[in-house]
Amino acid sequence: MSAENSTGGLVTVEGYYQEYGSRARELKKQGKRIMGYLCAFTPVEIIAAAGFVPFRIKGDVNEPITKADTEMETIVCPLVRSCFDMALKGKYEFLEGIVIPHACDSISTTYSVWKNTLNLPYSHLIDMPHATGEPSLNFYKEILGTFRKSLSKFTGKEISDQSLNQAIKLYNQNRAKVRELYGLRKASPPLISGAEVAKLLIAAVSIPVEEANQLIDDVIKEVKQRKAVPAAKPARIMVVGAQVDDVAFIDLIEDSGAWVVADDLCPGAREFFADVDVTKNPIDGIAERYLRKIKCGRTFREKKGDYEGYLEERFGHIGRFIKDFKVDGVVLYIYKYCDPYGFDVPAMKSYIESVGAPVLYLEDEYSMSTIGRLRTRIQAFLELIGSK
Amino acid sequence: MTEEKKPEERKKRKTATEAAGRVGPMVKAALAENLRAKEEGKPIAYSFIYSGYDEIIRAMDIVPAWTENYAGICGVKRDAQRFLEKAESENFSRSLCTYALCGLGFDSWREETGEMPPNPPWGGQARPTVMLGSGQIICDPRYKWYQAVQHYMPDVPVFVGGLPYPPYEDDYDYRDVQDYYVKYIVEETRNLVAFLEKHTGRKMNWDRLSEVVDISDRTWNMISEAYDLRKAVPCPMGTGDAMNTMVPMTFMMGTQEAYDFFKELYDELKIKIANKEGIIPDEKYRLLWGGGLPSWFALTDFNYFNSKGAVFPAEVTYRLVEPVYELDLPKVNDPLEHLAWRWVKYWTYRHDKARKRPGSNPDVERLIEYIEEYKIDGVVMHEAFSCRSWHPGLIWQLNQLKRVYRDIPSLILESDIVDISSYNEADTRARIDAFIDTLEAVKSR
Repeated sequence: MSAENSTGGLVTVEGYYQEYGSRARELKKQGKRIMGYLCAFTPVEIIAAAGFVPFRIKGDVNEPITKADTEMETIVCPLVRSCFDMALKGKYEFLEGIVIPHACDSISTTYSVWKNTLNLPYSHLIDMPHATGEPSLNFYKEILGTFRKSLSKFTGKEISDQSLNQAIKLYNQNRAKVRELYGLRKASPPLISGAEVAKLLIAAVSIPVEEANQLIDDVIKEVKQRKAVPAAKPARIMVVGAQVDDVAFIDLIEDSGAWVVADDLCPGAREFFADVDVTKNPIDGIAERYLRKIKCGRTFREKKGDYEGYLEERFGHIGRFIKDFKVDGVVLYIYKYCDPYGFDVPAMKSYIESVGAPVLYLEDEYSMSTIGRLRTRIQAFLELIGSK
Repeated sequence: MTEEKKPEERKKRKTATEAAGRVGPMVKAALAENLRAKEEGKPIAYSFIYSGYDEIIRAMDIVPAWTENYAGICGVKRDAQRFLEKAESENFSRSLCTYALCGLGFDSWREETGEMPPNPPWGGQARPTVMLGSGQIICDPRYKWYQAVQHYMPDVPVFVGGLPYPPYEDDYDYRDVQDYYVKYIVEETRNLVAFLEKHTGRKMNWDRLSEVVDISDRTWNMISEAYDLRKAVPCPMGTGDAMNTMVPMTFMMGTQEAYDFFKELYDELKIKIANKEGIIPDEKYRLLWGGGLPSWFALTDFNYFNSKGAVFPAEVTYRLVEPVYELDLPKVNDPLEHLAWRWVKYWTYRHDKARKRPGSNPDVERLIEYIEEYKIDGVVMHEAFSCRSWHPGLIWQLNQLKRVYRDIPSLILESDIVDISSYNEADTRARIDAFIDTLEAVKSR
């Protein structure tokens, strides 16, 4: 079950993953406009509706961070530092601008650094609230309106409701296809590996949504036609964390004798399992999705009933994945300096254990240098699961 | 449970002003008041500084418990490690905000045993009635910390209201968006009042709120006028003292006591200036504390700077006010609306100024303003490893200052706010010595 034997979509995926940004670079040469962004909280529909190809900026665990430290503190989330390092090293020279959402401190407090160091023609910070009540939702709609105006001003062309609705439709199709793809992981053994899914989703956020939709279709078709049934493996693992845009860690788990069958990650289920509702004013549906539907530690949800209900409200989607994908164990894979997820660990761990799944909590630094240490912990965890 | 450890012996920092010397007992008294309030059944609110609700809780006679302050006290007393370790044993990463970790360690310990941890610094922190977070553009712990505490105190309600301010952008002016920012903040603070009325049984007295807001406006002005006096040569008060006087600024805003404190500080500084009495007799270098929270356990480093002939007439950190009469606030009758406007106008105060200097931004502009007005020779910053609220961007600010303004000697110290294990006194002082050498070399050019 690997891309090596593939002649279709998975080969393309491998190419896009290994040469991240190659398709955007080609498109730029053809006259397309590429807009970079960080994090799942950037409303890509608005960027696409403005005529840009939204391009997710990613880091590289294999590349030591060397240039970033001259402008950005080492106490910033290592993923953000790596992304910035790659940008400084010219990896994303095709970008015409950058959009940064107020997702967490590491992303938003470095906005000035990104904006003024890269000196791209366009930059914008989307000042998204943390709270989710009606005033926050209405405020966020205003913020999105300001973003829409700002991008229109930059392109010199108004972003129409029609183009927004078209982008919403395409991205909802994209998400539906990813959900279908995830369905192939429910089988035992799963029809597609965790590493393959991760590579596909990472590739998908680097190309136009229309191409991503075709690519996912191709992969689904290819995987369904696979003749060789993969050998059964003992453990079905779910990985939970923030943005994991490199397959090294997923590979590590699968190389240690388990399947990664589910996740709550970006790119991953967190950002692909929530659609934009079709609303009269398209901004309403977009606001609702990004503020309320994406379940991420950066968004505060008020406790309304008892504490168990509160944990269900915050982490119930993880519980549902555990059940639906027959997960044997969950790995909380949290980066050092990640405040939104770091503060959630005890509550999240306790919730997951309460639904019957063992949990391994790992803190990492977004670097291949830690892989050896992580391997030992993963192997011990799998032994623990195997012994149950 | 982590065993009690005896705190390391610490040296007391020498203050330049009598006012700063009075702050320690004030903090002690405030903590004693919290414990007394608990015994008397008064509502106590876990609170964050500078979260837009000081006046509201004062007007409702709710007793604030400033949890960052208590963590800072644990740091100053060099007695935070056992709480940090307790938090770590609960699976909180040591890379997270150490104010929060200290508080989480303390709270989880108290909840586990049903009583205060043994010998808590200054009597400990009482269990709250409510916890008031804040959703700002900076500081994730402001909405995560109390949510995490709720894991140990699920019965204590948490409020998190949005409190944003317009970012500095090239393609639009803050005035284009300020109305909807103010509207949102007013709605959120009104929700906070409703939350407090529901959970504490206290009713908002709107007339009282107007009075409290008026006191805090006057306090903002008095602080600004007092701090402006530090422009004098020799400088009568340094950043070391300002790390004490931040207490009435941030923990007592909206009280007559805070106003009186700064009026007395103003009077004291006037006398010192008249007598040409500086922090040190022979002032050689005037430095700007250009950013970063201090290492609360190592405030004597300011004395060390003094011993080398260096003083800090100004700091960015904890200068959280501007003269209200310069903020161009619209006249409104609703005190909540006034507070919202003050918040938005404070954060956009230097937007216009920054726009006039290509490549600048409001943070850089503030550095330039202080360098010029306080006759600064060098800039010192501190990078606290556990805080991503105030520290990311400092390196860039310093670089940009040199690009758009002029080259100026600078030093970035590295340690933490609370976690003493990150601090190396010998190394810190060696870096200060080297920096002083640079200042001397530049001066003698």
